[in-house]
Amino acid sequence: MSDSGAQLFDMWRKQLEEGAAAWGKVFSQPAAPPPPADPMAFWRPLVEQWVQASARAFAQTPMTPDVMSQWKQFLDQSIDAWSRALSQVMNTEAFAQMLGRYLDQWLVTTAPMKKAAEQGIDQALQTLNLASRTQLTAVARQIVELEERVERIEEAVNAVLRAVQRGPDPASAPRGPDTAPKERA
Amino acid sequence: MGQERFADIVERFAAGYQNGAAAVDPDAARRWQEEIDRQIRRAQNLSEMMLNPTEPKVGCTPREEIYRTNKSRLYRYQSRREHATPVLFVPNLGISRPYIFDLLPGGSFVEHMTGKGFDFYLLDWGVFGPEDNGLTFEECVVKILPKMARKVLETSGADSLSVLGYCMGAPLSISFVASHPEVPVRNYIDMAGPIDFSQVGMFGLWLDRKHFNVDRFVDTLGAVPADLVKAGFKLLKPTMDLSTNLNLWWNSWNDKYVEGFNALNKWANEYVAFPGEFFRQWVRDFYQGNKLFRGELVFGGRPVRLSSVTCPLFVVGAKEDYIAPPACVRALMDAVSSRDKEYVELPGGHISLIAGRGAALHCWPKVSGWLAPRSS
Repeated sequence: MSDSGAQLFDMWRKQLEEGAAAWGKVFSQPAAPPPPADPMAFWRPLVEQWVQASARAFAQTPMTPDVMSQWKQFLDQSIDAWSRALSQVMNTEAFAQMLGRYLDQWLVTTAPMKKAAEQGIDQALQTLNLASRTQLTAVARQIVELEERVERIEEAVNAVLRAVQRGPDPASAPRGPDTAPKERA
Repeated sequence: MGQERFADIVERFAAGYQNGAAAVDPDAARRWQEEIDRQIRRAQNLSEMMLNPTEPKVGCTPREEIYRTNKSRLYRYQSRREHATPVLFVPNLGISRPYIFDLLPGGSFVEHMTGKGFDFYLLDWGVFGPEDNGLTFEECVVKILPKMARKVLETSGADSLSVLGYCMGAPLSISFVASHPEVPVRNYIDMAGPIDFSQVGMFGLWLDRKHFNVDRFVDTLGAVPADLVKAGFKLLKPTMDLSTNLNLWWNSWNDKYVEGFNALNKWANEYVAFPGEFFRQWVRDFYQGNKLFRGELVFGGRPVRLSSVTCPLFVVGAKEDYIAPPACVRALMDAVSSRDKEYVELPGGHISLIAGRGAALHCWPKVSGWLAPRSS
């Protein structure tokens, strides 16, 4: 019993010593300096691409008296380079994820504000005894439905009129004894 | 050395110029003179644009309203009618107005087609309001398009029609053609219309269900407001405005360019909202589910299978199209069962494929040329 107690005590002491040694090691080591912040890290590839495109533009452009054309060509190529660089950035999962997150946050903020504004406007219009947007929308929907119903009736009437104008189809006319033409009458 | 008088310098320069000793390159002088003239014209035209803006006259080709249902209109354009088969043109719903196809006299797709003798019908989906938020893609396919096709056949007296879909009008109209085999469609043309949405580019990535919750979007906003549609398209090409304005400044000495710019600029800034439910179905079934290409769509109880399309097919893609990249347009070629089919990839982007000088040169003649022998 005393042996097992001493064993347990030794184990506890060993763990304590090892833990203390580990913590001491951590605190005695100088903390690794944080990597220097590089605000240009994101833009560097774009700027490099732009510089390369500009250098190419100047190298390709023949020197003519028409400085304006050269300047325009340079601007065109610069814009083109920026456009391609931005497309590369925007055509990434990271950008799509950021855009989606931004849109979500915007919707989360917008939804209650929109609802509150709509309720406020509805109440104000009701107080003034005026029709609200919701009511006008409902009326517009009813008109559309009515229009469709009239159109269906119009089509049905037209179909009947066409059938009447064509006259009875001899092939489909019933040929019973009562309706048979009385040739000898 | 004594100080030189300015008069001496002028005299020496003039004498030298006359003798040809220090002659200024006449070509360079002429070009500088041209440049100065252009600068003056630029200043005049730009100040005119800012101080006295005039509303450009667009959509000048004579037309007649054949039919209307809710916001949608069917217009018929006058022509000599050299071809028996009429053409029903189905453009995109929402986003923009369809007068881009009849922008200016001499620069109009409609004018080109009527000039070539086609009985041309344009479907204008209209500008939607909050009362239309319940309109779905399915309704357009099973309710509106069949009526439009019937009206085309009734008014033209023809026994068949050709259908031409542009941009979103292509998935709309091909869904209609594939699900309504009883409608006598003689030819089908897809112009820059996305079919395989797994290859649809940046919009496909941004609208992926991992990043974009379409249900939350529609449930919150009810519809997609025009301003948001505009923001989405501007984001797709952020440098577009910059290059447009630079090109305006550069070409503003040219009165014809300024006239064209005014018309195009009016169109480019007139965005149209999407009905909420339409947008929900468009994003969920097409961008996120790619159900049209996979043959998983069922509209009005009718399966929409591209393989059931057997009519002659012409597919036009644009090389620099970032809204409907050529690969996703071309996919229609392999999805249908048509024997007579042709694909062309033309220079230009999504808009310049259908409007502008490049379109008049490359695209319109190809479309009318392919359609003419198949429309007798």
